[in-house]
Amino acid sequence: MSEVRIRDLTELDIDGITRVDERITGRYRPEVWEQRVVYYIRRDADAPKVAEQDGTVVGFMLGEVRGGEFGLDEPTGWIEFFGVDPGARGSGVGRRLTEALLDHFRSRGARITRTMVATRDREIDAFLRAMGFKPAPLTALEKPL
Amino acid sequence: MSEKRLELPREYHEAVLHWQRHSFPDYPKLAEVWDRYFPRDEPFCLCAKVADGMSDVIEIGDLIGEPKATKPADLRPEAARILLGQIRAQASTEFGSIQQHTGTFQRASDPQDQAWVLRVMAEELRHGYQMIHLLTSTDWSPVTDTTPADMVEEILSMQTGSHVLAAFNLEFDSFTDNVVFAAFIDRVGKYQLTMQKVSSYAPYATSMPPMLKEEAFHLAAGVVPLRRWVEAAARGDALVGMDAIRKACTKWFCRGLEMFGDDRPDSHGGEDSVRLGLKDMTNRQAQDAYIAEVGQMLDDLNERYVRAKRPDLSRDDAAALYERVKQGRSGEGGVEWTDLLRLPDRRFFRRRGDGAFQMWGFDGERFDDPEKCIAHVASHLPEAYRASVDVRHWADMLRNVHSGEVALKDAIKSMPRLARVGGPCPCSRSVRWVSV
Repeated sequence: MSEVRIRDLTELDIDGITRVDERITGRYRPEVWEQRVVYYIRRDADAPKVAEQDGTVVGFMLGEVRGGEFGLDEPTGWIEFFGVDPGARGSGVGRRLTEALLDHFRSRGARITRTMVATRDREIDAFLRAMGFKPAPLTALEKPL
Repeated sequence: MSEKRLELPREYHEAVLHWQRHSFPDYPKLAEVWDRYFPRDEPFCLCAKVADGMSDVIEIGDLIGEPKATKPADLRPEAARILLGQIRAQASTEFGSIQQHTGTFQRASDPQDQAWVLRVMAEELRHGYQMIHLLTSTDWSPVTDTTPADMVEEILSMQTGSHVLAAFNLEFDSFTDNVVFAAFIDRVGKYQLTMQKVSSYAPYATSMPPMLKEEAFHLAAGVVPLRRWVEAAARGDALVGMDAIRKACTKWFCRGLEMFGDDRPDSHGGEDSVRLGLKDMTNRQAQDAYIAEVGQMLDDLNERYVRAKRPDLSRDDAAALYERVKQGRSGEGGVEWTDLLRLPDRRFFRRRGDGAFQMWGFDGERFDDPEKCIAHVASHLPEAYRASVDVRHWADMLRNVHSGEVALKDAIKSMPRLARVGGPCPCSRSVRWVSV
């Protein structure tokens, strides 16, 4: 197996991301990833990253720099979707994707990056903490409708 | 990488807007649909964008490591001539594609697809504007006697039929062309822009990153509707079927290959541009990568088709079924090889470069009878396109080359001419696009 390569996302990664998502969640959702991929490509095509090994997508991380949400005026790099193929975990793919995306956020003027994790997603929480993320002085609120 | 935004001098800015009013009258609709289809995206800007932070030394070729040129006079004369040709050809493609899209984009059956194409057209207008900025913001007199105003005039006067490259002289026959064009021809554009990112002419190199970011969306505006169409085709409720998509792919793929320049294996096409630091790949190298990439695109589309056709199969089983059908060229489990999308041989239906006016079949088979070859080629093309002057011209030239009436080099130089072959602004109050 060749080394994992981190590169910018393209429209031809939709199938690969759909496959990774299907391997993680068990759901085949191509139309969901088509909309998401197009969104990030049209917003800032240099931001979203994929990890590729032997021509196959084994991980992805989608996000962008925005400002003004939730009263947070400073440019913030938001990590919004990511996934690593279960067969490629433990080899630093997630770390390298995060580093690449955070480098991009810095180049866009962001000095902080934020994300949210569901309480039940302990594995993701542990990964992000290992990457240097800490609980933010923000509270996620919700109300059933 | 941050970017600067620049506006053209007033006379050129006005000329582009004048052109837009004649050739892209739907442009104002983009602002109307922007918030619905592109919420929170930065508003469209008709301006030139220049990237900061790029290399200021030559990255490839004989002069690697030396400072990049900031004006044409700094370049070797040969490099300056090739560069000017690149910019004019690029400008022609940008304005030309808008003219092609305009004819059929209203026929989109999905409002989102239509809005996406409208944005693509506006961004092509911006790319054309960018090329005009390059032509008018510096002194080209060491390279050409033509004034900037006349260069711009020439570009804005071109119509479908008089553009530099054949792919921009074909009419669109339906909205299928808008989408397939974005997937195939904009992809060639991506290759050209990527190669030119290393250009030893700094103002050209710094123009590329902002264009490439927009081009990434253009490719998606082609691929994503195609993905939905093949799924609908598999479910049997498609308004556009696999046969129509496959034939449209053939129409544009063959012309797209010619946009790379002379691709004959022994032609050394593009080597001068690499040597002079204007590009980082030869024509054939870039074309090989392009063919591999569109091959992957069709594989993805076919796998989406198979998944929709056989929703009972797991991903791995569906992928295995697709591979068996593809390799065996057969049918299995309700999936027919003849239904799938596939590329023709690179020499098929060519009018320039490798295979031009030679009798190559779709799968690389040889013909020795021009009439049989023409019938075979026509059977792989869209019905509406078959009746066009473009196909007629190719068939006539093929016959004439093989009867010895026309030399191959003359056939390659010839281009079908449509009735509209350019000219001054059609506005009764003006005879030029550029009023200086």
